[in-house]
Amino acid sequence: MSMHVFQLFINGHSLNSIEAVDTLLKICRENLNGNYQLEIVDIQKDPDKAEEAGIIAIPTLIRMEPAPVNRIIGALNVRSRVLAGLGISSMHK
Amino acid sequence: MNLQKLETGNASFDHISHGGLPIGRTTLVAGSSGSAKTLFGAQFLALGIQLFDQPGVFVTFEEQVDDIRKHLRSFHWDIDTWEKEGKWIFVDAAPKEEIIIAVGDFDLSAFRIRLERAVMKCNAQRVVIDSIGSIFTQFHEETHTIRRELIQVALTLSRLNATSIITAERLEEYGNITRFGVEEFLTDNVVILRNVLHNEKRRRTIEILKFRGSDHEKGENPFTINAEKAIVIIPLSAMILKHTSSIERVTSGIPALDEMIDGGFYKGSINLVSGAIGAGKTLLVANFINGIREKKERCLLMAFEESSAQLYRNATGWGIDFKQLEDEGLLKVICVYPEISSLEDHFINIQEIVKTFKPDRIAIDSLSALSRASSDKGFREFIIAFTAYLKHQEITGLFTSNTPLLAGGTSDTEGNISPITDTIILLRYVEMSGEMQRSIAVLKMRGSKHDSAIRKFTISDKGANIGKHFEGISGILTGNPMLIKLE
Repeated sequence: MSMHVFQLFINGHSLNSIEAVDTLLKICRENLNGNYQLEIVDIQKDPDKAEEAGIIAIPTLIRMEPAPVNRIIGALNVRSRVLAGLGISSMHK
Repeated sequence: MNLQKLETGNASFDHISHGGLPIGRTTLVAGSSGSAKTLFGAQFLALGIQLFDQPGVFVTFEEQVDDIRKHLRSFHWDIDTWEKEGKWIFVDAAPKEEIIIAVGDFDLSAFRIRLERAVMKCNAQRVVIDSIGSIFTQFHEETHTIRRELIQVALTLSRLNATSIITAERLEEYGNITRFGVEEFLTDNVVILRNVLHNEKRRRTIEILKFRGSDHEKGENPFTINAEKAIVIIPLSAMILKHTSSIERVTSGIPALDEMIDGGFYKGSINLVSGAIGAGKTLLVANFINGIREKKERCLLMAFEESSAQLYRNATGWGIDFKQLEDEGLLKVICVYPEISSLEDHFINIQEIVKTFKPDRIAIDSLSALSRASSDKGFREFIIAFTAYLKHQEITGLFTSNTPLLAGGTSDTEGNISPITDTIILLRYVEMSGEMQRSIAVLKMRGSKHDSAIRKFTISDKGANIGKHFEGISGILTGNPMLIKLE
């Protein structure tokens, strides 16, 4: 199974940010079997990274690998859609 | 109460807005695609840096930053240096190549933080957000969220106290202010840019719809995009009918014509010669130019029908030496096709020449040719703006206009301009006894008496010759001359 590399941009402890972090961690734990790297960027603390990545919306999840790079914005609260968006099939379970 | 304004540096805009954009506030600039919204914003920042040393932040939601840089360089704005010196900061919010999907609720706090940081970093006094509509397209399924979030952006802007422009698309030139109704929450100040296609010609206008708590010129003002000065507005509504009227006379170059108009044209007056093809209009122009010799005046000739070689040859045929006048620096001849640019551009071009050459007289041969370059409405506005400008500068003008019929008749051009001319001279053919004779008559002359006779007009190798009046003939102006038996 290929390596997944993620960057998740959040804004402090905003409601949407907390929800997104929770959901993503859950998915990683349950579906990726340790085959992932996740960097959580708080734009309050590290605005340069947000600038570099051209982030507008919070939360923004970037899947850097596997290619192609794609982005999901929002609180990630519909699990099946997040999985589809990240190209992770439930087969990986 | 009149709220304070920030001078934009675009003199023509500052003129119609009575001082610039409302200071510390946000102005919505709405326009259809291709209406120069981005340029309007970019010019606002560029002039701020160039003229007032006020740093600016440019947010792009639509065009890629590199494309904007290229665009700016084409107007000779030194974007590279400004970015290096930290006077101009881009906030890149343009769409990325990657696919974006939305799952769940989100906000635009990242954008607000980036915007605020950029403003703080360069201490920006000017901010441009171009264009707000694209963010709706980027997040097309979430328009409610975007609306809610844009209100937050507007609040951030007002807290930052920078004078800002937000651009927005509109779908029709005359209809809803913006496509996504952003005016609902950005309502205080609205400027509309239009790019209307009428009779196969484009006409750009700018209208200040409202500046809350402040006055400004109303209605549409034409503008043009100039390679040197970017957006230049021709301030129609801001013109004042307050020019001095001289009683000084200047010669028409033909003594007999001077006699008909009681001693010559008034200095600073606008004079029209109307006639069919070959009736002697250009001859009158040549004499008007030749009239500068006496007092060493300077004259600018804008020729829209003939090349300079042709003009010089014809003038020589009438015993008038243009070349010599030009060598003495008294005459400047500009020959161009009217179609090469819009009327607004011609206007600005003439203004530039007037500024450097400082003529006492201007001759335009012919206005009818110039009217081809525009719609009727545009032409009328051009004439009004142009004559007001000439009067303001106290330049005496002689324009020619073609009539479509050989004998009698008037032209559309004349209909447009005759109310604002001071003198109208008619050159008409008279068909008599199997011969085309020429006639000359003064139809009107403001503030002066004039000859009311229709006189014979002949052209020889010595030039123009004005003779006796057509005795016993009536119906010349209607094109049906008849001999009346005299008792």
